[in-house]
Amino acid sequence: MAVLLNNYYLQVATFVSVNALLGLSVYLVLSTGQLTLGNAGFMALGAYTAALLATKAGAPVWLTLPAAALVPAIVAIPLGYASLRLRGVYLAIATLGFTESVRVLLQNWEFAGGALGIKNIPSLGRMVQNGLKAAQIAPPAGLTHAQLANLVVLLFVLLVLGLALAFIYRQAGGRVGRAYAAIRIDEIAAEAMGINITYYKVLAFVQGAMLAGLAGGLVAHINFSVSPSEFAFGRAVEMLTLVVVGGSTTPLGPVLGAVLLIGLSEGLRDFSLFGARLSDYRLILYGLLLMLVVALRPQGLLTFAPRRKGARA
Amino acid sequence: MFLQQILNGITQGGTYALVALGYTLIFGVLEIINMAHGDLFMMGAMVGWALVTLLGWSLVPALIGGMVGAALLGVVLEFTALRPLRRKGGTNLSPLISTIGLGMVIQNLMVRATNGQPLSFRVPLSEGVIRLGPLQMTTAQLVVLGVSILLMALLQWTLSRTRLGRAVRAVSENPETAALLGVNVSGVILATVMLAAALGGAAGVLVGLSFVSVSATMGLPYGLKGLAVIILGGLGNVKGAVAGGLIIGVLEALTVAYGGAGYKDAVAFGFLFLMLLLRPQGLFGISAAAVRRS
Repeated sequence: MAVLLNNYYLQVATFVSVNALLGLSVYLVLSTGQLTLGNAGFMALGAYTAALLATKAGAPVWLTLPAAALVPAIVAIPLGYASLRLRGVYLAIATLGFTESVRVLLQNWEFAGGALGIKNIPSLGRMVQNGLKAAQIAPPAGLTHAQLANLVVLLFVLLVLGLALAFIYRQAGGRVGRAYAAIRIDEIAAEAMGINITYYKVLAFVQGAMLAGLAGGLVAHINFSVSPSEFAFGRAVEMLTLVVVGGSTTPLGPVLGAVLLIGLSEGLRDFSLFGARLSDYRLILYGLLLMLVVALRPQGLLTFAPRRKGARA
Repeated sequence: MFLQQILNGITQGGTYALVALGYTLIFGVLEIINMAHGDLFMMGAMVGWALVTLLGWSLVPALIGGMVGAALLGVVLEFTALRPLRRKGGTNLSPLISTIGLGMVIQNLMVRATNGQPLSFRVPLSEGVIRLGPLQMTTAQLVVLGVSILLMALLQWTLSRTRLGRAVRAVSENPETAALLGVNVSGVILATVMLAAALGGAAGVLVGLSFVSVSATMGLPYGLKGLAVIILGGLGNVKGAVAGGLIIGVLEALTVAYGGAGYKDAVAFGFLFLMLLLRPQGLFGISAAAVRRS
């Protein structure tokens, strides 16, 4: 048990879960048929909101995390109304422009540390560890305090992921989810059916921004530091990769994508083949996977037949 | 001072325009965005670097070599990332994603090959300075500007005066009709992709020349700026790409000159964003209907 729960595995599992949240944030927007590369920018907003509140204002984590979800959502509303008139490649490029603009602005924002970013953000693990010590809770036999704290952090992130999944599943069966699906399948027909497509597209965009921001807040509190370069083009592409490879027709797709891509590449970090370390070739593998999946299985690895019966009226 | 900045901006803008022309050619014919274009640009620069530094070639043959190298990679792009998707149909978002994938492969292979270090790219003419009244220009800048103009003129001539150009225009108008009239559509698409890649490769060599260095990651900022430029000029619009490149180049130069150096990379995107909201068809875009069609 104690071997299985070593700190490294726990951290990898936490990292996978956060990435699953990021994948879901892209999935939400994609479920209305819109491709966004802007969620890396919203993630940056969330991460910086949490980091600034925690380090400059000393806000507690139960305040910084909701704020990390809220600020990107507020930014996403006008942005969504303005940019969702655009479709397809135009929207992809516009949202990419948003991500890059956020990065450049953060880089120049001296109050937030400029290009170096923000350091010494209170970490979740440390908080839990201190809490446990203060409450004089001893870890079960064979576990260290750090292990127990990492386990608690993992469970917390898993809880957030579980809630997000539950929300998305619940929504998918209802009015909003069916509106999303209708818009994805045929926008013009959906509009003719009386669905307010702008409203629902913006709603999906805002939901995606909230989730990306929340994940950003979690990352800030897990890594103790944030810097603008983490939220560049590469991050936007990685988030998209999780969804495209894992599956873009079911919420479990991005989760599978995160487990496969992030989990394997972290878990096999030191694995080498013919003298080449796998981790050095991670991005090349991602690229090949993207090409292969789009060509051979455009819906992603994991798919379920659309539900016909039992959809809630 | 002001005129000097305009001149610098135009020189820089010339390379943006060349990059943007590559995007716009492919969009004009296939209505897709080739996200690997920045990496074709980088490979052109790398081939140019290898020819000059390892083989001791002079600039002009190295420039042509860089264009040929990029064009050959364009063939790889067509057969691995574009053609397999075309047969399946689907939206124009699939090639966007698959070209992102190919770009990642190319870029990271080169990062491995160069250990992530920039390579110094020295050509004998890098040193000289030419004065014209209050203005001054390095010989490298002059070469960059001259070659950019020459290539743009050559492209314009190819598109408007040659058999290939006519075929390209026919396919971009309507592929089915062009095929019915006997145009070899896949051949034209391949030629267009190679032409676009060659322009990107040339821009790569020129940028390497003016910054005296090349690196595996040099493609990303230029690729992204090229995207901003084509939206500014109107997707698929050749004149728009040139004008957009020059506008972004000049705006950047002025931003740097008047104290906003840190915001240089936001200029293109800030402008792009405004443009997308106010006039998504671009400066020279045809009509809103054409935008909707894409």
